[in-house]
Amino acid sequence: MYAIERTRIIKKELEARGQIQVQTLSSLLGVSEVTVRRDLERLEAEGWLTRTHGGAVINRPDGQSALSELLTPHQDPRDHDGIASVALQMISDGDVIMLSNGEVNRRLAARLEERSNLTVLTNDIACATLLAQQDSNRVVLLGGTLEKDELALFGTMTLANLAKFYVNRLFVEVDGISRDLRLTVNSQEKADLILEAKSVAREVVVICPASRFNHTAFFRLGDLNFAHRIISNSNLEDGFKAQIFASDIPLYSSVAAFEGSE
Amino acid sequence: MITTQPLVSLQHIYKNFEGFQLEDVSIDVYPGEVHVLVGENGSGKSTLMKLVAGWFPPDRGEVYWNGREIHTKSLPDARKRNITYMHQEIQCFENLTVAENLFFRELSRHTRRRGLFDPNLLIAKTEQVFRELSIPIAPNIPFSRLGFAERQMVSAAKSYISDAQLIIFDEPSSAMSQPEREVLFHIIQILKNKGVAIFYISHRLDEITKVGDRVSVLHRGKITGTTSCDNLDESSLIKMMIGEVHKERYPRLPGQRGKVILSVSDLTFEPILKGVSFDLRQGEILGITGLMGSGRTLLANCLFGIISPTGGEIQVGDRAVKFSHPGDAMSNGISLIPEDRHKNGIFPKHNLQRNMTSATLRRFRRKLFLDELFMNELTQQYVDILKIRPGRQNDLIGKYSGGNQQKVMLAKWLMNRSRIYIMDEPTRGIDAASKIDIYNSMNDLVSKGAAIILISSEIEETLGMADRILVLAGGKIARELKWEEASKENIIAAATTED
Repeated sequence: MYAIERTRIIKKELEARGQIQVQTLSSLLGVSEVTVRRDLERLEAEGWLTRTHGGAVINRPDGQSALSELLTPHQDPRDHDGIASVALQMISDGDVIMLSNGEVNRRLAARLEERSNLTVLTNDIACATLLAQQDSNRVVLLGGTLEKDELALFGTMTLANLAKFYVNRLFVEVDGISRDLRLTVNSQEKADLILEAKSVAREVVVICPASRFNHTAFFRLGDLNFAHRIISNSNLEDGFKAQIFASDIPLYSSVAAFEGSE
Repeated sequence: MITTQPLVSLQHIYKNFEGFQLEDVSIDVYPGEVHVLVGENGSGKSTLMKLVAGWFPPDRGEVYWNGREIHTKSLPDARKRNITYMHQEIQCFENLTVAENLFFRELSRHTRRRGLFDPNLLIAKTEQVFRELSIPIAPNIPFSRLGFAERQMVSAAKSYISDAQLIIFDEPSSAMSQPEREVLFHIIQILKNKGVAIFYISHRLDEITKVGDRVSVLHRGKITGTTSCDNLDESSLIKMMIGEVHKERYPRLPGQRGKVILSVSDLTFEPILKGVSFDLRQGEILGITGLMGSGRTLLANCLFGIISPTGGEIQVGDRAVKFSHPGDAMSNGISLIPEDRHKNGIFPKHNLQRNMTSATLRRFRRKLFLDELFMNELTQQYVDILKIRPGRQNDLIGKYSGGNQQKVMLAKWLMNRSRIYIMDEPTRGIDAASKIDIYNSMNDLVSKGAAIILISSEIEETLGMADRILVLAGGKIARELKWEEASKENIIAAATTED
């Protein structure tokens, strides 16, 4: 497929969805992810879109920024909403929690308006922006070096900041869980941050959508027992469910079983 | 009067069933000895005893009778060898009198005078036996009028007059009151003195020292210990019964408890349930556990209008209700997902859609017809939500795996859109992945304001999922435990001890 044709399709998809994953485009266009990334880079240079972690969001002509698109809840996949709903139930008013950077945690950040008196630590700019709009919650943005792809802060400064806190619950969004149940993330900086965060957290909740299972990102975080609890989607493969159960770690998922009551 | 040679001795017995096995079991009993067997539900006590009684042969291993190896093939074989197996449910002739039942097998031998059957002699002999055994039952009343405990006593008396050398009691005392149990123990003492060997299956730790000489603990088909009943330490016995507990792997969520939506006070069903009272709150998972015969399922059936309690009161919200039919309970927002899906739940010869919609056909009624489009749509919706596989609407449900059948059952009752779900053994015999889906469905229900009564014999599951646990023993709530304080030890201790 020619570049010009690919560009046309990418633009069309972006118009329709507002945001799109590299993986999705790669399978849609039948070309490698490297090629897709090159196309996205070019379109970004043309001002068409803003690249994000693993994908891109459209730049609307009316001046809406990529960030505000990220924050618009209806554009997040429904899978993420389910995970965020379950995570929300693990948080009570007054808790001190931390959200690592990631798409699902952004959904969770938006939902935190249903709680009050929370103190939320995060290295994710989008999360912080969402939380800034919630009057009854406090947000601590861990400073550091801005990673533009992910709109998140990393590095020694972030780590030093983190050491000053103690959190009840750390929500870690990972980028992959392999067949043998190893947790991985996309960058060394992210791995360092999460490992440091674990040392100041009473409980670690690992968030990983079903689509990221059976997938290994580049940097290793640890084994499954890194997590006290895991949240995923209910369409996760049965094999993984059984393996996690056998590992004595509770697996949560959102099953919309309640249709209502008469 | 323990002699040097055991009457029965099992050596390294193996027996495989689907989903269960006896593994390298060795056990024996001497004449005049009471050997108690304890263990959790499903640990293999009854299976082992049925093997002793000759219901089925072992796959491997030897059985010795008075030191000689035997191959018991059938029940009549066992009877010839004078083994009596006393079931939990006594099989008798309901329309005959107590005396006739007592002497039924020996009618011709004991009750003839000058070659003719003599009813007065029968009564006299029965009275004599009952006097010896201190059984307070009139010989000439019909058997059908006897209660559960009285049946057990007659049955014990029956083994007394027979020439049984080995008697197996399978939880005879589970529904007996204290005086009734005293009678039973008295009978057992007399049998012992006669030199009869006795296996006694029990769930109740408090009676072990009272009745037993030795006790063996079964755990998952293996004997984890055999010890003398003198100086028995109850807590070490409980430890032998339990094995490892994996309470952490259950996806429990700390719920937001709301107002009371079900209130049960002094609920009684003679003679099993005795004055059960509890409240159920919105957003709560209330676990109810207890041993077989503790009244778990009976309680569920009372709450769902399958049987009418003989006393007590049920309130839904702030209205007092009386259910004479499950339909009454359903219209009050209660659903029961019954135990044993094969018997009570699924229609194996019908398809998925019929099974799923069968409890709520009312929802699909459009004048004289059923709205098939809506039925398809809603069935599909639940198939997707609960990940039922393969999940085609025309699939015969009998061909599904246990986990998928159970999910269909769950969907069937979720369609009823209740506020109170009673789940009786919701995950028995299903795969781990389906269990997780069901636990997460439960979380969804309570997070949206429904409430669940989780009845389970799997103590670990109750510990893992329930916010609060009621332990039933002998038809009463023996103990109420909050999630934080509950452990397998204190549940078993409460479930196995009465009064």
